[in-house]
Amino acid sequence: MITLLDRIAEVFILGLKSLLRNKLRSLLTMLGMIFGVGSVIAMLSVGAGARYEILSRIQELGICNIIVNSVAPPDEIKHSDNVDWMNRYGITFQDADYIESTFPTVSRLLRVNLVKKRVWHQGTGLEASVLGVEPEHLDMFRLRVGRGRVFNRIDADSAAKVCIVRRALIQQMKSIEDPIGMTLHIGGFPFQVIGVLQKERFRSHMRKALAIDDRAHEIYIPYETSMRVFGTFTYVRRTGSREVSEVELDQIVVRAASSDLVFSTSQMIASMLEHFHDRRDFEIVVPLELLRQSEETQKVFNIVMVLIASISLVVGGIGIANIMLATITERTKEIGIRRALGAQRKDILFQFLTETVAIAVVGGVLGLLFGLIAIWGIVEYTDWKAMIEPHYIGISLLISCSVGMIFGIFPARRAARMDPITALRYE
Amino acid sequence: MKTPIVDLEGIEKSYGAGLKVLSGVDFELEAGEFVGVVGASGSGKTTLMNILGCLDKPTRGRYMLEGHDVSTLDDNRLSRIRNSRIGFVFQSFNLIPELTVLENLEVPLFYHKIPRRTRKQRSLELLAAVGLSERVTHYPNQLSGGECQRVAIARSLVNDPALLLADEPTGNLDSRSGHEVLELFHKMHLSGRTIVMVTHNLDIASELPRVVEMCDGSILTDRRRGQADAGPDEGTSAEMEVS
Repeated sequence: MITLLDRIAEVFILGLKSLLRNKLRSLLTMLGMIFGVGSVIAMLSVGAGARYEILSRIQELGICNIIVNSVAPPDEIKHSDNVDWMNRYGITFQDADYIESTFPTVSRLLRVNLVKKRVWHQGTGLEASVLGVEPEHLDMFRLRVGRGRVFNRIDADSAAKVCIVRRALIQQMKSIEDPIGMTLHIGGFPFQVIGVLQKERFRSHMRKALAIDDRAHEIYIPYETSMRVFGTFTYVRRTGSREVSEVELDQIVVRAASSDLVFSTSQMIASMLEHFHDRRDFEIVVPLELLRQSEETQKVFNIVMVLIASISLVVGGIGIANIMLATITERTKEIGIRRALGAQRKDILFQFLTETVAIAVVGGVLGLLFGLIAIWGIVEYTDWKAMIEPHYIGISLLISCSVGMIFGIFPARRAARMDPITALRYE
Repeated sequence: MKTPIVDLEGIEKSYGAGLKVLSGVDFELEAGEFVGVVGASGSGKTTLMNILGCLDKPTRGRYMLEGHDVSTLDDNRLSRIRNSRIGFVFQSFNLIPELTVLENLEVPLFYHKIPRRTRKQRSLELLAAVGLSERVTHYPNQLSGGECQRVAIARSLVNDPALLLADEPTGNLDSRSGHEVLELFHKMHLSGRTIVMVTHNLDIASELPRVVEMCDGSILTDRRRGQADAGPDEGTSAEMEVS
């Protein structure tokens, strides 16, 4: 006796042989499958790429972090042009202290003083965002120093004029000196470079979240130094007027005790700030919230893609069913012969169903290749990210197998139901 | 008493309301007999062969094959009987063109769930018996008509059937290969096979040990060589036109 598996394998090989006999026709039959499976694979991979991208963003910003930025209120009524005018807005020291001391869900709060200054070194000047940060800040945003060292408590306590820069800044300074120990003049004050950050600049989403000017370089200095040297006032000179603004804290980074507490904490901070501030002079960025939002968009995108892919799979399946019906009419005689020689209805059903599945599966494999090429094209010509995972092989086989089964059952049943005598007489 | 291979009792077959193709056929076939069936077109030969071959079921009557009533079996059972107890040889050979000679022979064995190796071995033996060992990997369209029919005969024997049914096996052949095929049938008869063969050719029929003549859905005459007319309807002469 032979096992069922042997029989399946044998009939499958028979199906493949009949595929090869009619190459062009088989290929045309498979086109729908190829596009269908290809688009599913491309969709999955782009989706996975997007998910990975979002996840890595969140990790960069910190899943438990809440970033509060001071922003100039947009609806500020400008006083008459020729009057010196002091604009006071943003997060206050009091706000930060209040959050730190009264919110039980906050595990850490870091203060940031951000100023924009020109940085000079041997006659080369560049715009820079100078961030006065606490020592833990670098850790919180996973900034690693490639050469040199990070800030320590002594730097902070002594308000040392030291700074950490990115490599790009050093390169733009066109200095051939060893950057470690080099002196930069920031807003007129000499600072010694003690470390160079490993990674290139932040990506734009991050710069946006951290309120860093996109064109400026970031320079990190100790928070205490920044407060002592640059203070909280910003002067903006305009023709005929002088604008002074005071922002006590440009940014605070709040870390919630756990990721479950992020939303409640951010809501508490928001309502507290709304209570104490009579203008909307702050903005709260919650990385987790960003994740949620992009997941929502992703979901819509996925649904649309699944729809498109299913339509092409259905079209492909109909194409296969159509060709199988024609094949069965063409092979009526063969069906009659097989029935006369002892094939039962289920044998005929099984044979044609297997043939359909064979077409679909071969189409699915080609579709997988097509999908991989499509992914390559997408990655090459757009800035989308894509990820290829090994289980795509299983998915494309599964999809094509099911399409073959679903659309093969009707033609196969028709073949199985043929009357053997009529079929034998068919010419 | 030995059980006959075939025992038909009052077999009737009608299509729809009016068309009665067989009207009460009684027929018995002992093991090892070689019977020719003759008769005009529309006399019911083909329908009788279809019923004998379990491709069709009688509307009324009883068909005992090797002592078992097969007239009421379902489609699956009939398929199994066709597969293992009956061998078919057709006028138009009915080989599957997409399969090689060897693969064609393996088809009934496949449905009999015989393992691949045994299938091949048995098929090769039978191809050797019909003198086509050189042709195993050829396709039917690469063979002559006579060779095709010999392949078909070999195929009809692979499952060692109790009954061999041949429908005009020489009808599509030239006289020489027709002769070869007939010789093969006679050889099979001598080796003990039970054969029913439909033919239009009176010369062929006259050489057979037993000839049944059909007319309008019933058996007109049933003669054994060297025996008196045993037909049920003795009024009609045996000069019935057969073309």
